[in-house]
Amino acid sequence: MTLLLSKQSPARAVIVRTGREPLVHFLLIGAVLFVGVLVARSLQRPVVRIDAQELGQLAGYWSTQMQRDPTNEELQGIIHERVDEEVLAREALRLGLDKDDMIVRRRLAQKMTFASEDTANLHEPDEAALKAFFEKTKADYQAPPRVTFRHQFFNSDRGKDQALARATAALAKVASTQGETLGEPFLLPLSYSDASLIDVNKDYGQDFAGALLSAPLNQWSGPIASAYGYHLVKVDSRMSAKTPTLDEVRSDVLAAYQEQARKARNATFLADLRKKYRIEISGIPQTILK
Amino acid sequence: MAVVLAAFPGSTAGSGSAVTGSVAAKPPVVAKPPVVAKNATASAHLPGYNTERNAYFGDLHVHTKLSFDAYIFNVRASPDDAYRFAKGDTIGHSSGFNIRLSGGPLDFVAVTDHSEYIGALQEAADKNSPLNKLPIVDGLFSTDPVKIGQAFSRVVEAMGTNSLPMEFGDKRIASKAWKEIQDAAERNNDPGHFTTFVGYEFTSAPDGRNLHRNVIFKSAKVPELPYSAVQSQDPENLWHQMDTWRKAGIEVLAIPHNMNGSDGLMFEQTRRDGRAMDKAYSDLRMRNEPIAEITQIKGTSETHPSLSPNDEWANFEIMESYIGRAKAITKFSGGYVRDALKSGILMQDTKGFNPFKFGFIGSSDTHNAAPGSVEDRNYFSKVGRTDGKPEQRGSIPAEGRKTWDIPTNDPNGNLGRFQSWGASGIAGVWAEENSRDAIYSAMRRKETFATSGPRMRVRFFGAYDYPQNILKRSDLVTVAYRSGVPMGGDLMPSKGKAPQFILWAMRDPNSGYLQRAQIVKGWVENGVAKEAVFDVACSDHLAIDPATGRCPDNGAKVDLSNCEPTKFKGDAEIRTLWRDPTFKPNQRAFYYARVLENPSCRWSTWDAIRNGTPPNPKLLPTIQERVWSSPIWYAPSL
Repeated sequence: MTLLLSKQSPARAVIVRTGREPLVHFLLIGAVLFVGVLVARSLQRPVVRIDAQELGQLAGYWSTQMQRDPTNEELQGIIHERVDEEVLAREALRLGLDKDDMIVRRRLAQKMTFASEDTANLHEPDEAALKAFFEKTKADYQAPPRVTFRHQFFNSDRGKDQALARATAALAKVASTQGETLGEPFLLPLSYSDASLIDVNKDYGQDFAGALLSAPLNQWSGPIASAYGYHLVKVDSRMSAKTPTLDEVRSDVLAAYQEQARKARNATFLADLRKKYRIEISGIPQTILK
Repeated sequence: MAVVLAAFPGSTAGSGSAVTGSVAAKPPVVAKPPVVAKNATASAHLPGYNTERNAYFGDLHVHTKLSFDAYIFNVRASPDDAYRFAKGDTIGHSSGFNIRLSGGPLDFVAVTDHSEYIGALQEAADKNSPLNKLPIVDGLFSTDPVKIGQAFSRVVEAMGTNSLPMEFGDKRIASKAWKEIQDAAERNNDPGHFTTFVGYEFTSAPDGRNLHRNVIFKSAKVPELPYSAVQSQDPENLWHQMDTWRKAGIEVLAIPHNMNGSDGLMFEQTRRDGRAMDKAYSDLRMRNEPIAEITQIKGTSETHPSLSPNDEWANFEIMESYIGRAKAITKFSGGYVRDALKSGILMQDTKGFNPFKFGFIGSSDTHNAAPGSVEDRNYFSKVGRTDGKPEQRGSIPAEGRKTWDIPTNDPNGNLGRFQSWGASGIAGVWAEENSRDAIYSAMRRKETFATSGPRMRVRFFGAYDYPQNILKRSDLVTVAYRSGVPMGGDLMPSKGKAPQFILWAMRDPNSGYLQRAQIVKGWVENGVAKEAVFDVACSDHLAIDPATGRCPDNGAKVDLSNCEPTKFKGDAEIRTLWRDPTFKPNQRAFYYARVLENPSCRWSTWDAIRNGTPPNPKLLPTIQERVWSSPIWYAPSL
């Protein structure tokens, strides 16, 4: 060692000596590795990619707001903001900020609900199932009484007694006339085919509608009073309140069936999901118990 | 039988009662009448089909929670709820009571939510939504009426300056709401019984001057999204868009409303961009806007006393402020339909086109999802939590007082606006049957009428040579159509004779009796548009006074202690034939009918009686309900 040193200049001797130090070897290898890892890492950084479709959508919102297309500069601003939002969100996820957050949790639950509904196909029930369902819900489809009738009108604006007398006189004559109109012009229809009693009540009042239900069939009778004056009526046919057959309301029944099937499916889906978990409620605070 | 009578909505037992808790029970309205014709082929007629047409009553201006303002007003009722209400069901009001129509179900309805940021407020109120965290949302969903007012102004301001956050315009939110509207319309459309239309409101208001219109689609075929005032404030651009839709097979029309709040802008005589009008513009406008909503809760836009000083009935439910704020209107010309019809015929003479040749219709503009809620005796106004109670709309003294000695504090002028609103606006159409096709066609041909709330019917026909005895003939309507034109139509050229008009009106069984029938005429004389109101028939055996041209007083009054009208006054029916005594063949003209009921209590008086306090002395205690027909036009032959 001493010998060698004497042969060489002191500076060179330091370098050579340093070069032989194990610590230096270690540091050098470390530096190379460090740079290598840096390079490798930079090649592996997660990518934030905003695609053209999304950019188009963002620019669209902007245009809707501002009533014009963004300039290039403004477009850069939109992109910049979007990237900021993305890296912040990613960082938040990395740090676990989504955990124990009510908003995030609800949003995810909502998305799952939608997803489960979308995947469930509309169920076409067989005839027996639809029939059974209809039998159970029949009352929902009940129809009001319907009446087919004609009437003649006697205006009472110029005195009720006179109108009543005109109507009564007309009733005595009406049987012997062949379809001749003895009454006065009337702004609402003078004949109704298969009219719902609810509609008749709305336009003429309850007394008139009620009288139609008890009037004799196929002959002129009256006079009966309405909100407008007096009427002679001839009821041709009457259908009491009735429940339609399945065929008459099939599309409505099917819609109702599918709606309840959808609800049932959702409930089943949730129930199955719950079975995958053991659910523990640690107790309800005394303060909120009523 | 008992079941059936109990099922009658609007039967005498239900009428006359106000909004009370007693209506809480769901009425046993028949849920689903048989839909025999729902899937029938086009050739089959629906129940009630009538070649001479029936009167159907409806509401084409209805807001639900999907409208940004309704949502702020605490309204949470959906389009489905709106249709339920129109069919006679009970729904909840945002102030915490139940509401129901006392006059029975309507025949047709369109839900017309504001298309601007449609559904966005509901989304923003959702704590799950990113919109919820935006600064503007803070304090937007208060239940305190004062804060609601502030929130409303803040959002309207932000909309006006296009400074709402862009998330509010997210297409996914709008699509969801638009789909809800379409689905509800589809679910509730029941041909022959109840017709729905898909629609929306185009909410343009340059500098706060109202240019709103409702866009109504003929069928379920509608665009992917509405064209809103965010895209353009200029209605001309809306009409171009509607033309484009029509070319794609989407039939549509628009109905302007609240011209009274436009400060003269709705019927200005240039285009919105300042250019001169021309025939192409006029055609575009009339192709897309055949009818106008002339009466609704925010006032009646038939005419203004300053525009029609010789019309003693011009002062009906007049609103003289901007929409949504207490700024006074200064320009009445251009804001009322009679004045516009006159401008239109004058333009036809001087320029060769008429951009204002529209028919009339009424609607409520409820923001409570309560179609047809324009009944004076059963009124809860229209902006949810902010005017749901009498004290909030100035009909009873504040703070439980029993007199009007101490004036109510009204710094923002809201009270002033709400008390000037009227319970008015029902749409009437003459259609063969209750279906989308038939009712839409009636609107296209302007065979429509407007009422101030009651469901009175009016027929109006014009011709030159009706038979002398036509009023007594049983085929009156057949002859009237065959040899004349109905409301909304154009008279044939005159062969020297003055036109004749059949005016035939029938009362609403649930409302008062008719007092007089009038014909309003507008004409061009020596280059000036003029107007006159003729009394053409009186009730109670009365004859028109030749000196005044008016019906004498029929003595109908109202007892203001209980709103009872004088008994045995007025007629159930008015039927008359009138020939214009002032007709000149060379003068272009229009004619429309107006029929008045006897006086009855205004909603504010009903509120006061229920509260046991005197009516507000600043408000008229009574009104005369009325019906307006669409005009019939006369053109001189060249």
